[in-house]
Amino acid sequence: MKLSQTLLFLVLGAATLPAQTPVPDAPKKKRAPAPAEAGAAPVQVVQSNSLVRVNATSQPYSLHLPWQKESPSGRRGLGVILAGNRVLVTGQMVADATYIELELPEKGQKIPAKVVAVDYEANLALLESEPSERQKAFFAGLKPMAVDSSTRIDDQVDILQTGRVGELIKSELKIGKVMTRRYNVEGSGFLVYEANNIVRSEANSFTLPVVKNGKLVGLLLSYDSKNQVTTILPAPIIEHFLKDVADGSYEGFPSLGMEMQTTLDEQFREYLGLKPDAPGVLISLVMKGGSAEKAGMKKGDILVAINGFAIDSRGDYKDPQFGALSSSHLVRGRAYVGDKAEIKVIREGKEVILSSELTRRKPDDFLVLPYLFDKGPRYVLMGGLLFQELSRPYLDAFGEEQRGGAILRLSRIASHPDKYEEEGRKKLVFLSLVLPTPSTQGYDKLGGQVVNKVNGKEIKDLDDLADAFKNAKDTTHVIELNDFPHILFLDTFNAERDNMRLLDGAYRIGSLKRLE
Amino acid sequence: MNIRPLLPFLALALLHSALRAQPVPPPPAANQAIDTASGAWEGIVNIDVSVLVPDYREPWNAGQPSGGSGTGFLIGKNRFLTNAHVVSNATRILIRTTNDPEPHPAKIVHIAHDCDLALIEAEDGSHFDKLKPLDFGGIPQLNTEVIAIGYPIGGDRISVTRGVVSRIDFRPYSHTSVDSHLAIQVDAAINPGNSGGPVLQEGKVVGVAFQGFSGRVAQNVGYMIPVPVIKRFLKDIADGRYDHYVDLAASDFPIENPAQAKALGTTNDGVGVMVGDVEPQGSVGDLLKIGDVILSIDDNPVMNNGLVRFEGELMDMNEIVERKFAGDTIKLKYMRDGKKLEATVTLKRFDPYVRLGAQYNQRPRYIVNAGLVFQPLDRNLMDAHQMRDDTVNYVFDNFLTDKLYVERPEPVVLTNVLPDEVNTWITPYAHSVVDEINGVKIRSLKDVQTALAKKDKPFIEIILLEKNRPVVLKRELAEAAHKRIMKTYNILEDSYLGDE
Repeated sequence: MKLSQTLLFLVLGAATLPAQTPVPDAPKKKRAPAPAEAGAAPVQVVQSNSLVRVNATSQPYSLHLPWQKESPSGRRGLGVILAGNRVLVTGQMVADATYIELELPEKGQKIPAKVVAVDYEANLALLESEPSERQKAFFAGLKPMAVDSSTRIDDQVDILQTGRVGELIKSELKIGKVMTRRYNVEGSGFLVYEANNIVRSEANSFTLPVVKNGKLVGLLLSYDSKNQVTTILPAPIIEHFLKDVADGSYEGFPSLGMEMQTTLDEQFREYLGLKPDAPGVLISLVMKGGSAEKAGMKKGDILVAINGFAIDSRGDYKDPQFGALSSSHLVRGRAYVGDKAEIKVIREGKEVILSSELTRRKPDDFLVLPYLFDKGPRYVLMGGLLFQELSRPYLDAFGEEQRGGAILRLSRIASHPDKYEEEGRKKLVFLSLVLPTPSTQGYDKLGGQVVNKVNGKEIKDLDDLADAFKNAKDTTHVIELNDFPHILFLDTFNAERDNMRLLDGAYRIGSLKRLE
Repeated sequence: MNIRPLLPFLALALLHSALRAQPVPPPPAANQAIDTASGAWEGIVNIDVSVLVPDYREPWNAGQPSGGSGTGFLIGKNRFLTNAHVVSNATRILIRTTNDPEPHPAKIVHIAHDCDLALIEAEDGSHFDKLKPLDFGGIPQLNTEVIAIGYPIGGDRISVTRGVVSRIDFRPYSHTSVDSHLAIQVDAAINPGNSGGPVLQEGKVVGVAFQGFSGRVAQNVGYMIPVPVIKRFLKDIADGRYDHYVDLAASDFPIENPAQAKALGTTNDGVGVMVGDVEPQGSVGDLLKIGDVILSIDDNPVMNNGLVRFEGELMDMNEIVERKFAGDTIKLKYMRDGKKLEATVTLKRFDPYVRLGAQYNQRPRYIVNAGLVFQPLDRNLMDAHQMRDDTVNYVFDNFLTDKLYVERPEPVVLTNVLPDEVNTWITPYAHSVVDEINGVKIRSLKDVQTALAKKDKPFIEIILLEKNRPVVLKRELAEAAHKRIMKTYNILEDSYLGDE
């Protein structure tokens, strides 16, 4: 009875794994403007000499067959010329780029470019072209645009696009709301302007500048043509990025690394011992290795102020420019890595002042990689068993209906990594796929099992795994899994022979591992 | 009357009067014509059932009245065998014979959901005294002819379809969806309403027609419950009680890989299957370990794919366990670290899996307190509430695989928060697994009652699994609101914890 139940799960889990290929690199919903809206009233003006077209070719690695790449696809955008002949675009524009070029909107002249700095969390990238005579000539007629952070709610701004021959097309918008929101990868929220109006679309685009009085106030983040809602990556974040790049070493945006809960519920306030009008939010989680933990913040503290700004029971502070805004912006948008932050909490009824040097948790600090661009997923292939480190993009490539079995288990680990981090794991190594070889006979239907030990060695990341495979006892690799069937054996000699065959075989595998 | 969805693949319904079709000319005579007046088939009866489908969303309500019909057959004095799914959740059962339009009220004597069989009796059995019970045969050979008799959709009178035995295999029984037993596949048409009817060969019952296939992927596929499963059921209830199936509660993994065979020390004769998982609370929980190799069960050698040759057929090794009863023993030969060992195992039922399957004839259990609805997590609950919460889905999906039942035999879910001033801030926390209430660890619904009875603190404090903040209600406010909420939402009883 129980038996077939388990086997059924197993078959389902295994079947979903190899069948799945990641979504091709088409622009995701809402990312890019939709086709032209009827009734839009673009206003034609003179050519701008501060904008260049940017054409990028993007080619991500395959997440499920990590030795190969997906098919390349093109992305277009309108970059903004900044000081030093550098061009600002969104991070998405250059993600997994294999070739980037700049194009003059009017003349059509082109020049290759490369990425100087990119931050996929803040969704910003800076491009430049190799200094040369050609480069000098290309930029000769162009003029840098200034960045203006003074935008407020109700300000009128323009989204700029260029037409076929480089003519400038404007869509007018009014900033309606300022808030914080996740951009396009996992992580905390960043500042966002929101506006309502129809945006005419000349072509799908991954970057469109938003200007006011000839100055840059933001880049288009998303346009929802159904609800006519536009979100804009705002100048304060752009300035933060540029300032960070300017000092030579890029640190990124800091975060506190904690989770807070609103205290609007009067019964909850009383339970927490909060006075009816007292400000503050409950700290419900403090992440390992984050700024908050380093400052000594504890779960159960009531956060009442950051850097002198009072935090209300929604977790907002009063921003002098934008009004009520999530307190996360105080750290993420208004401070830099290395800055000191002063945090006031109430602990056991007493006010405690904590102080911390702000840090940023890098993608690699997470058990499950939040995003992965420009490089291939790490993997180890042994005799036909493919091992990978779990990443969000890998999980996201599975549709809702495939969320059962192994994928559900792995997704939950991604959402609740604490237990696995406490075990000392740096990454979550799992058996992702079994290629049919003589060595893997009988294992073909497996996939999605977390690896605990190989040849007696605990596996904390793929480097451990690669090392462990060098130390087989006798002539058998022993692989211990967290899930059914819990233990696998490979013949060392046959696995090596199959490795050699795989290298030149039907799967077109160029390398048995990627550990860089 | 609604048509009751009996089995998912049975196209929603058993026979129902509204589906009455135009008269069809009698089919050409088969091998031997049957005179329905002869009485030979009079023991094959139509079972008309009124049903109350329990409501797991509003567990205090009675449920949805519905109905359906199936087939049963006389196997002894006033004893009719049918499928469990024909009479599940029944509020009224009526028996009709093919030549007598009189409906005879009947009741369930024994019902075994795990093998989809039930025994019913007429309240006044005297009407059936003259009918001849049907006799049982054995397991029919492949490619031999069988006929299925019953009352399927397409008409009111008795129907006969003919086919051959296509396959004998261990298969999931979809009534619970978590039980698998021996089943025989036939290509005779088995349609909604045939359920519970006999499949005959040479005048003897060789099976009970019980499920079909959803149709789009396979055609001419019907299944019957074979005689060994029927006989086991009849033997089990002989003492007046149904004790359910027993189980090894271990999962096997084939030994097909040469390195695996060598490491586990099995020889090349193809004997021995690897233990891939063991349920600590199952029959072999204290005996077997992952990586052990099962060599034989009751001296039947187990092959590397988990099959045994049993009664002349290759069958899943569990078939040997299947034939046994709670308290019976089996002899197990197994190998650990290259050493051959032997043990006698007393078999018992493995309960935790039951919750993963559909359950019937049960009134939903629940507790409502200040608008917070607590219900035990099981398949019926999952099917009724479309829960998207990751934790709930994880706990349900991995209840066995991650042995969650050890810590929490009956996970409790906060399924609903009936909005009121007192709980308006905690409505977003519906669909969470409850970890602790007032300091009491919640291992079953009963614990919720115990925990809520603790009144030493001014707050009711509820810790939800993997939600990072407690959910709290001020006790005096909650108590004041409780009656009001019960009245507003028309709830007569604030809990039902079962019969015990």
